Amino acid sequence: MKSIVEVKNFQMAFDGKVVIKDLSFEVKKGEVFGLLGANGSGKTTTIRALLGFYKPTGGELLVDGKKYNPEDTNVDVGYLPEERGLYRKESVIDTMVYFGELKGIKEPREWALRYLERVGLLDKVNEKVEKLSGGQQQKVQLGLTIMGSPKLLILDEPTKGFDPMNRRLLIEIIEELHKKGTAVIMITHYMDEVEKLCDRALLLKDGVARAYGTIAEIKKEFGGKSLDQIFVDVYGEENE
Amino acid sequence: MNSFTFKVAKFEIVRQLKKPAFWAATLLMPLLIGGIYFISFISTQDVDMNPTIDEDTKIAITDDAGIFGPSAPFIINGDKEYGVEMVKNGEVDLYFYIPADFAESKKAEFYHISEGLEIFNFDGNILKALMMQDASTRVDELDILALTSGYEIVDNKINKEGEASNALGKAIIPFAIGITFFMFIALCGNRFLLTVVEEKENRISEMILTSVSSKHLIVGKIIAMLVLGLIQILALIIPVLILVIINRNNQLIGPIVAMIEVDPLAIFLSVLLFIVSSVFYAGTCTFVGSLVSTAKDASSFIGPAIIMMVFPLYFMQMFMMEPNIVVQIMTYFPFSAPIALMLRSGFGTITTLEYCIGLLVVAISAVIMTKLAIDSFQKNAINFGTLKLKWLKKR
Repeated sequence: MKSIVEVKNFQMAFDGKVVIKDLSFEVKKGEVFGLLGANGSGKTTTIRALLGFYKPTGGELLVDGKKYNPEDTNVDVGYLPEERGLYRKESVIDTMVYFGELKGIKEPREWALRYLERVGLLDKVNEKVEKLSGGQQQKVQLGLTIMGSPKLLILDEPTKGFDPMNRRLLIEIIEELHKKGTAVIMITHYMDEVEKLCDRALLLKDGVARAYGTIAEIKKEFGGKSLDQIFVDVYGEENE
Repeated sequence: MNSFTFKVAKFEIVRQLKKPAFWAATLLMPLLIGGIYFISFISTQDVDMNPTIDEDTKIAITDDAGIFGPSAPFIINGDKEYGVEMVKNGEVDLYFYIPADFAESKKAEFYHISEGLEIFNFDGNILKALMMQDASTRVDELDILALTSGYEIVDNKINKEGEASNALGKAIIPFAIGITFFMFIALCGNRFLLTVVEEKENRISEMILTSVSSKHLIVGKIIAMLVLGLIQILALIIPVLILVIINRNNQLIGPIVAMIEVDPLAIFLSVLLFIVSSVFYAGTCTFVGSLVSTAKDASSFIGPAIIMMVFPLYFMQMFMMEPNIVVQIMTYFPFSAPIALMLRSGFGTITTLEYCIGLLVVAISAVIMTKLAIDSFQKNAINFGTLKLKWLKKR
């Protein structure tokens, strides 16, 4: 299977402090890939460098064989960042139509209405975003991310702050997109989500890959332990 | 226009047009103008158009019509050319010429030196006062009325070379464009900042930059803000023009309209300067907005830039005279150049070449500032904290 994301010998330093050391991995087309690690391990930094927000100190980060540029790529990317928000003063529909137009969707209004109906927000179409509850805003953010069925979906802690209902809805949507051939990179701290959704994963600690492969391979490498236990073992090394 | 730029610009324009606050700010200005006009209209009803004769004022009159009696003061024996020469030489301040056919033409001529920008000069009415004073010693009141009413004094402003002078007429359009630019700064600055800061303040910059490049996002925003600024400026100008047209025969507005001198090159350059200055200002605001993450931070950074832009207004007197080194610096310093150029153009103290060089400086600065804003927005898109100088460095 061909790769949609290739990270080769990626290095990143801020103010002389190295935070990512010679990191290499790939994400294959159509797979769900878990990017795992504790806070500050370099997951978000890697994604931001992949999308061009950071200039890497060394190495290459490629989307479909080239540096990512939203206006010069054959790969539609949906990105739900860790720091996320919405235009608070705009209506739900205007926000979604704007993003839909930027993503090149032919009928963004129709797409948005179908999505809002599915997630139970059809009655909020003309409501200003700031009037929505936190959970309702998360649904709109998710809608903006998956608009136009992207070929690559990057979700940075997607279920953070989600109630169980919304979490289930999100997982359903990820599974649907996966079935349609979307590659998903998922940054998460919930190992049950990884076990349920991910084909392969990478475990980062201090900017270094500590485990990489299919979920089965990783488990085998750590003596058949659960992902939860592997996580605890890797991050507990320093304390021992 | 690139389709991404167009989409961003459309979104920004439509969302602002939907806001009641935008229309409130837009319509408030014409209402203010209307109010100011009304007050000034009321107050001009009391304008004294019959000035008293200052003892120091040197006056000469050539009376070819024989209106004045033989003992009247200020009458000279010389002809009109001689009288105008006296004005040029500074021998007299005011010279009146009453032609032989005055009884039929009802027109007298008034000559005085004018290099300044005075709008109204009622000194022409001194002739009327002198005629009444002189006639009152000789004829009855009814004759005085017949003599002194219904004639026109043609105001001939000349310079020291004796050529017709219309400094104000030439200055009106450049000044009007300068005032428009000043209004643009006052009306649009805050919106320029907010439109850029908003993405970071609402934590949406990462999501948006995955769909559109910072180049098209920033250029789209700048275009949108310029269009919105234009709408507000038109809302300001159109009522003014309507008022001027309605009152074109008014004793105060009429003479101003009549003296407007249209120099196509000067107007073209002034409009061009207005456009590049607006882009420069928009680029500056956008750059500042891209560096910080809250509107509060932005307003404290943009303050110095605005002060630098309006700095020439504090030195208005200096701009009326032969340009000194301070004026020259302000003319070519990008921040002060827009208003400095507009002032010098209005006062007629700049050559076309100097103006074009200043224009070029502003145009280049506008491009540089826009480029800085684009790069900075991309680099600082994920800077959600307070501004640190390290964020300015290449990341």
